[in-house]
Amino acid sequence: MELEPFMLRALLAAVLLGPLCGFIGVFVTARRMSFFSDTIAHAALAGVALGFLLGLSDPTVPMVLFSLLVAGLILWLKERTHLLNDTIMALLLSGSVALGMVILSRLKGFRGELDRYLFGDILSVGWGDVVLAAAVLVLVGSALLLRLNALSLMTAHPDLAHVAGVPVRAMNYAFVALLTLTVALSIRLLGIILVTSLVVIPPATARNLAGSLRQQILLSLLFGLAGAGGGVALSYPMDLPSGPCITLTLAVLFVASLAGIRARRSQAPSP
Amino acid sequence: MDIAFRPRPAVAAIEVLDLQVRLGGNPVLQGVRLRIEAGRMVALIGPNGSGKTTLLRCLLGLHRPDSGSIHLLDEGPPTPHLLRRVGYVPQRLPLDPSFLLTVREFLAIRRPRTAGWFWRPTRFVDDQLHEAVAEMDVTRLLDRPVAGLSGGQLQRVLICSSLLNDPELLLLDEPTAGVDTPGEEDFYGLIAEVHRRRHLTVVLVSHDLSMVYRHASRVYALNGVICCEGAPEEVMNAESLRQAYGIHFTPYHHHHHHHPGGAHGA
Repeated sequence: MELEPFMLRALLAAVLLGPLCGFIGVFVTARRMSFFSDTIAHAALAGVALGFLLGLSDPTVPMVLFSLLVAGLILWLKERTHLLNDTIMALLLSGSVALGMVILSRLKGFRGELDRYLFGDILSVGWGDVVLAAAVLVLVGSALLLRLNALSLMTAHPDLAHVAGVPVRAMNYAFVALLTLTVALSIRLLGIILVTSLVVIPPATARNLAGSLRQQILLSLLFGLAGAGGGVALSYPMDLPSGPCITLTLAVLFVASLAGIRARRSQAPSP
Repeated sequence: MDIAFRPRPAVAAIEVLDLQVRLGGNPVLQGVRLRIEAGRMVALIGPNGSGKTTLLRCLLGLHRPDSGSIHLLDEGPPTPHLLRRVGYVPQRLPLDPSFLLTVREFLAIRRPRTAGWFWRPTRFVDDQLHEAVAEMDVTRLLDRPVAGLSGGQLQRVLICSSLLNDPELLLLDEPTAGVDTPGEEDFYGLIAEVHRRRHLTVVLVSHDLSMVYRHASRVYALNGVICCEGAPEEVMNAESLRQAYGIHFTPYHHHHHHHPGGAHGA
């Protein structure tokens, strides 16, 4: 069977970004940052709208920049105010979506574009996106691998990491920047509303089956790959947006992994 | 009685001068002066709100004091470079159970030779960690996730982890907060053993006065300032300590037993 070029591009983007989201997701979930990831994804909507307002045909750059801006704002407000994290993020999430919708409603002919950004669309993945995905995989993947120990230690206890010589504050900012890049680029495939599923579900599925951090990371990479690749492959023949296909594939894998917990329990020696 | 062998008795492990810290406008540390000799096992005690945590954070370079100075290990303020010679044992890990870091992995992170644990076979990591793991009796815990350990197990793992760097100064924050009463005695026995064998300075930071008698050779009582210091017997009977802890405070004169009916004092 011959692959259509658009299908090849979408599959390539999926196999590049799926494992990356699974990898970074292990630390996102452990650091209780799932809602953070969701917030920066929604912020991308305002970035997309601003891109169209500026007359750009490809709004990737303003999308990434606006997400980075909101991520920075979250950290800044957290340090400067006494507001709870949840409050800050809910504020910026709803604010960005509102801004995006106001701008888009002023522009003629972009209502159809909206669905692509909300739910993902394999037709919208260009060669530029594939190249960007590969670049982000190399950048974020190598940063995570090279700083795996520091990241694990600050996830376990930030003060302990500081005493062990980890520059915790700088690492925190860097982690947020890498997460933002990963999430913003995955929006093409999954859409703003569902992109967090690729960051959150693979590590949760891996958690059900793994016995150590190494196993959790490796399994999460694998589930990210299977979910993103499988979802994109299903999207075209079923004529569905790719976001829901990927998320449902991930969800099916998660449900299957619950059987793994039961198997592990029955294997465990009774106390 | 201080039975530790002290190679450099005149050296101060911790020297704090006129340390002042205000938090949210309130004076928390009001001119703390503190000198802890190297090689000792001492206790830094104080009621809740006395500034213990703030002082500890300053000593670890986690909080910048408003004024005053800190010298660690006769060298200088707690810079990242100097902190390599310091071990810190926090009370607990605020770790989510969804993070599957095992004891083996947690320990491997701290030692340069095992820093590549992700790529290495388990056997190699275990060989490298063997000695330290046996010293703290945590061999059976290696495969367990750190997030699922009991208070006492976690304390042993945390001490083991800080010992991997051969620290000269070990700071323990409320070391027995999560340990049950029978486990407490074993735990202090273990720390005393580590102290004896490794000739390091141990500082137990706690609000728990009862452990002071048996385990610390010297006690520093903090209440905004160091309000009294000396041998445990002297400090426990000092009027200033009674004031710091409130007038109803009565020191324990022997190791307390588990009371089946009553709540254990906090």
